[in-house]
Amino acid sequence: MTYLQATAQALEAPSGAVSEPSVNRMAISVLSLIGFFVALYLWAHNAGLTGPIQCGVGDCATVQSSEYARIGPVPVSAIGVAGYVALLALALVGLQPAHRDSRMIGGLLLAGAALGVGFSAYLTYLEAMVIRAWCQYCVASAIIITLTFIATLPEIARLRAGR
Amino acid sequence: MRKLYIVLAAVAMVGVGAVGYSVASGGGSAVSEPIAIEGLDDLERLVELAQGVTKGDESASVTIIEFGDFQCPGCQAFALQVKPQLELAYVESGRAKFVYYDWPIIAAHPNAFLAARASRCAADQGKYWEYHDNLYRNQARWAPLTSPASTYVDYAETLGLDDGSFASCLNSDQHAALITANMELGNQLRVSGTPTILVEQGGSARIVPSTFDGISSYIETLLAEGAGGA
Repeated sequence: MTYLQATAQALEAPSGAVSEPSVNRMAISVLSLIGFFVALYLWAHNAGLTGPIQCGVGDCATVQSSEYARIGPVPVSAIGVAGYVALLALALVGLQPAHRDSRMIGGLLLAGAALGVGFSAYLTYLEAMVIRAWCQYCVASAIIITLTFIATLPEIARLRAGR
Repeated sequence: MRKLYIVLAAVAMVGVGAVGYSVASGGGSAVSEPIAIEGLDDLERLVELAQGVTKGDESASVTIIEFGDFQCPGCQAFALQVKPQLELAYVESGRAKFVYYDWPIIAAHPNAFLAARASRCAADQGKYWEYHDNLYRNQARWAPLTSPASTYVDYAETLGLDDGSFASCLNSDQHAALITANMELGNQLRVSGTPTILVEQGGSARIVPSTFDGISSYIETLLAEGAGGA
């Protein structure tokens, strides 16, 4: 769509018209909330609150007790909690009438999810090649953030349409 | 949007329920400090309670005794560098046995008492020395933790222990009396730091330097005296 066409479309819209809530941002909010609870469980375990980690598949204990489960004093799970909370908040704000067409929120969602996928890919590499053990919760989070990133791809069109 | 909020609420309920259940059922009250025990001033009772963990031939005439603290860097160095040499030179050949007693310096090392209890929980499942070595190898990781209990459970699982039984042991007061008694025994023997190494033979013990040379030279003297007297 050219700039003129997009401008014409915007001018044709009746004043005060509010766009529909985008399905992709709804999907991001649901996925982020699920990811939040996965990361929260791991954070609670790292904090000594849960007892033995419940691990049906893989070797969660080896991964969670490895040096790579922390970055300095900060558990990786805490970073996950913060990341998912940020994505959830952005998605929910981006679904409100005043912000449904917000390019800034679209850009932040895209960047945040891309960062999350990149970090998750690094952690997956560590599991596969360095720790040589798999944690089902880490794998689940990797899948969730990948799906979240896919859900943010429509934001590219929204960003381009706004130019 | 209403449907979205319903879905989010459902996910939140499941999530809160799952995490909440894990926290409620898994916390426990792991004893991480010495407890009050009656009768420790009675030497016979003290020796009965303060059990060390032995490695090697029980009938070996020479005993190498260590009073150690799992959170002490010097003890880590001893465990990973000196002890293996002693095992190679004396324990494996049956010329000496090695006995480890816990003497956690809780004022400086807040996780040491719980680490000692964790090692005894591993001993319940027959893997004391593997757990002992694992704790020392990973000391830098668990020492700074505010709540290391779940990390200790993770270590147990990596060693193939039943983590449920281990966690139950750890999240209780099991072995707290034993560790406390170990500490009192060390106090009675004038232990003032860790690692403290004693070499004992025939009921007579001497504190020796915690280096291989310092320990082996005294052991060789004892063994030579023993051979000369035979």
